[in-house]
Amino acid sequence: MKIATIKTPDQVTIPLQQHAGEVCNPVVGVGDIVSVGQLIGDGTSMIHSSVSGEVTAISELPHPAGKDVLSVVIKTHDGEKKDFKPADLSASKMSRIIMDSGIVEPNGLPTVYKKVDIDTIIINGTNTGDLSSNAALMLDHPYEIVYGLKALMKSVGAKKATIVIELDSEALHVMRTETIPDRNIKIVATPAYYPAGTENTLAKKFARKKVPRGSTPEDRGVIVSSIGAMKALYDAVHDGIPMIKKTVTVAGAVRSPGNVLVELGTSIKDVIDKCGGCSGTPVKLVMNGAISGAAQYSDEVPVIKTTTGILVQTESDINREPPAPCINCAWCVDECPIGLLPHLLYGYADSAQFDKCAELYIGDCVECGMCAYVCPSKLPLVQIIRYGKHGVAEMDREIVEAEA
Amino acid sequence: MTYTISPLPHAKSKESVKSVMWGTVAALIPITIAAIYLFGLPALKIILATVIAAVVAEIIIYKAASQPIKIDDGNAVLVGLLLALLMPPSVSEHLWVPIIGAVFAIAVAKYIFGGTGTLVFHPALVGFAFLLAAWPTFMGAASTPNLGSFSDILLETGAGRLVEASPALVLLGGAIVLYKKYVDRRVALSATVLLILLILISGKGWQLPYVLTGGYFLGLIFLAADPITSPVTKKGRLIYGILLAVLILIQLHFGAYFTGMCFAVLMMNVFSPLIDRSTIPKPIGGK
Repeated sequence: MKIATIKTPDQVTIPLQQHAGEVCNPVVGVGDIVSVGQLIGDGTSMIHSSVSGEVTAISELPHPAGKDVLSVVIKTHDGEKKDFKPADLSASKMSRIIMDSGIVEPNGLPTVYKKVDIDTIIINGTNTGDLSSNAALMLDHPYEIVYGLKALMKSVGAKKATIVIELDSEALHVMRTETIPDRNIKIVATPAYYPAGTENTLAKKFARKKVPRGSTPEDRGVIVSSIGAMKALYDAVHDGIPMIKKTVTVAGAVRSPGNVLVELGTSIKDVIDKCGGCSGTPVKLVMNGAISGAAQYSDEVPVIKTTTGILVQTESDINREPPAPCINCAWCVDECPIGLLPHLLYGYADSAQFDKCAELYIGDCVECGMCAYVCPSKLPLVQIIRYGKHGVAEMDREIVEAEA
Repeated sequence: MTYTISPLPHAKSKESVKSVMWGTVAALIPITIAAIYLFGLPALKIILATVIAAVVAEIIIYKAASQPIKIDDGNAVLVGLLLALLMPPSVSEHLWVPIIGAVFAIAVAKYIFGGTGTLVFHPALVGFAFLLAAWPTFMGAASTPNLGSFSDILLETGAGRLVEASPALVLLGGAIVLYKKYVDRRVALSATVLLILLILISGKGWQLPYVLTGGYFLGLIFLAADPITSPVTKKGRLIYGILLAVLILIQLHFGAYFTGMCFAVLMMNVFSPLIDRSTIPKPIGGK
């Protein structure tokens, strides 16, 4: 057993935006009694209650994205259980099931959202940096993951599937054993590299499908999905449980780090406390990995569907070195998974030459943070490139307005 | 409880400009010791003179510009040391010559062009070229390495300049910086492969040992592939190495085998921005 379960918290805060899209409309009111798995938010995605209890508030509360989002606060009652009915598995219903169960990928998009012919499915089972929830899920639930994958393959008509796992991962053997009877599910071992999670690069590398700029892998008949989504799919298809729990990696300065299964809406403070609390003074709380995660300004923010990990950093983990001038070492150029020139984008964005930024494809940047990680001059590349993107958008808007 | 907020990434690599510069200096220590061993006191005098002159010049410039003194980034020491290695030991009789060279390198080649990161020509090479043009008689080497034999690789008896003392030790330092990625691999690789091919094609096989001299290793690894002055795009670095090999071959044809390397690198420095601009890569999936 790799994944620990923690006691249901006394109170959960479930934001009505846990996906890429508009905030959902609440379908419950203050004072309502809700049960596990009950729909509480409807809109571009579905949001379900992760506990049974009473709705005590619906208001704007801190969200991992760094802003306040309309959230439903539920005070937990003990006891009540809900019987879930397994969904009937028919091919055309899969996107309906995904929608109704509110299953989203770590990037916030539903697993299937376009109606296109799918040929290959790639499951990203690699772990990045301090995150290890993928490996833990595969070790604990190999059957469920393969079940979810087969259901997805059947429903979208995919002939092949590939699960990408790191060479040195313990999960490699487990997953190989699990998929022996299935000739069309391939396990691919890859050396650990980051960022492995860029969909277009994965499609190119493991499905040999080149995805043009501005397109998604779906346009080339490839779905790039995640281990977490496969497990959620199993829960939805086999047991009829919507996405209400998430396996997250708790790492850094905590007493007992590891992977824990958490009800959505549990505050990261509760999660850290259940993992033995912080060892040392926490200075920075990071959600979703040290390199591309987001620093949190409050420990009240809840775990949401796109959360993959919680990292607690102490003062010694933080590099506060002031930036030095760029020395053209080109390490950022070598690291960029997209093939951009980050140091030039930095220079142009920093001096507000947004037209030059647009010429150098600033919009293609996926903000993986690798350039700023390797930079020997410790330049805040991602921050300035984001500023550049904003500047390019402003510039484009002004052009449109001037022409109108 | 207040938490620190910052944009990503929340972890940064251990390498810094300081570690790159000092790491490169450390990689040059073996050849420096070999030079002092072979040439004795004159070599030590030249090395101390250029390094101290470069550091003092940089401090004065920082003071004059009312900037915080950032001498600890190691760049001035590196430039001084590289310049010293390009000198013949006989120049120690006129120590003011390398001192002027070091000051010129820092003041003109580094700071007039905007300092670390924006400079166009490698400062050590500019200092060397300036001295060569101004006082050619002091800068001439008393002897040249034995091009005919491969035996002098560990300790070159025919060494005429500090860096030529031991090709093997320069290569050792070069291997360290290449391994640590302090300098670029593409430049060194493409230039060496092409140069060997070109020498063989042009039917001058006797020039082949040239790629085994200290001057060549230093010029290629520490001067040509230097991050600040070489191109940044991946394709650009290959092109840079290829053009460099062609230029070296032309210089070789006229027998300028040591200065030829230096001037070939200086010439290529001019093309660096142009190469960069014409080899801007397409992002993944781009047409």
